[in-house]
Amino acid sequence: MLMHVIHMEHDVFKANDKIAEKNKKKLDKHQVFSVNVMGAIGSGKTTLIEEAIKQLKEKYKIAVIAGDVIAEMDASRFRKLGVPTIPANTGKECHLDAKLVEKALNEIDLENTDLLMIENVGNLICPVDFKLGEHLRVVIVSVTEGDDIILKHPMIFKTSELAIINKVDIAHAVDVNAEKMREDILSLNPDVPVILTSKHDWESLETWISFIELGLKKAQKK
Amino acid sequence: MHEFSIACEIFDQVMNTATAHGATEVKHVTLQVGRLAHTNPEQLEFCFKVLSEGSIAEDADFVIEMVPPSLECECGYRGDVNESQIRESGELKSELLAYVAAMECPICGKPAHLEGGRELIIKSIEIETKDEDLTADR
Repeated sequence: MLMHVIHMEHDVFKANDKIAEKNKKKLDKHQVFSVNVMGAIGSGKTTLIEEAIKQLKEKYKIAVIAGDVIAEMDASRFRKLGVPTIPANTGKECHLDAKLVEKALNEIDLENTDLLMIENVGNLICPVDFKLGEHLRVVIVSVTEGDDIILKHPMIFKTSELAIINKVDIAHAVDVNAEKMREDILSLNPDVPVILTSKHDWESLETWISFIELGLKKAQKK
Repeated sequence: MHEFSIACEIFDQVMNTATAHGATEVKHVTLQVGRLAHTNPEQLEFCFKVLSEGSIAEDADFVIEMVPPSLECECGYRGDVNESQIRESGELKSELLAYVAAMECPICGKPAHLEGGRELIIKSIEIETKDEDLTADR
């Protein structure tokens, strides 16, 4: 019997990052702009994606990856809008990873896609460490989660490129100060754009949609 | 809880490396886990135990080295976060995270970039083999 120490130095997250990089290259090749939408259960991810699809689908070709423990329910909401949707069932897992997205990408006609919306599994913790190959990382938080939610989950706000505070129309009813939420986000990530939205306030949705369109235009210029 | 899928990845990597080296038993698995990674080492170990039942790694001891967060700033500053300072800031892990995530560069005061502290690395394994031959390189 002999004992050996074998140095592996295998970084589990970097292994995921490598696949994410591959996904991104593939998307770039086809000039597809991709958005990873993260946020808690009930924060409004599906609704805000639906609103964006409704406004952009005449101008751009859109596809969706709907990630969830059981993804079919959200996927059918997107399909009703007439966009190709791939449900990415994570089973018991609480986040999408680059491998699941890689698999889903094989089922999408990328040549005929301008915008890929990826809805992540609902929570503020697990998706943080897993890049997918997206061009824009968005976190959505709703006022109903309470105005201390941001400092409880700092890493997702620290690592996102756009933060949305949703359902601001009912902030008063749930005794939450949306401005405090904005300040908390900026204290963690001073350069991140923060948008306050409500599905009943058309102007606020326009801001979210114009943000996506800005990325789309950049992607197509490449 | 996403420790199970991470444990699957660790188990696969450990088993591939161990069998490639002709292991008859895996004695130790040493991991480096960043303090800011959203991974609970105890759950990770539990999941690994479940996965490794009946395999040559079933009795492996888990050695976990926690990696403290480190900062990097555009002004050129690089350094570890002073952990005693973090502990004073509160006991709740979420508060520690908030504190570290919002940390400023101690030299120029700008928001510092978190360089280390989010990794999860399978550092090494200790294996037992029958004879002296290490059958393959890793």
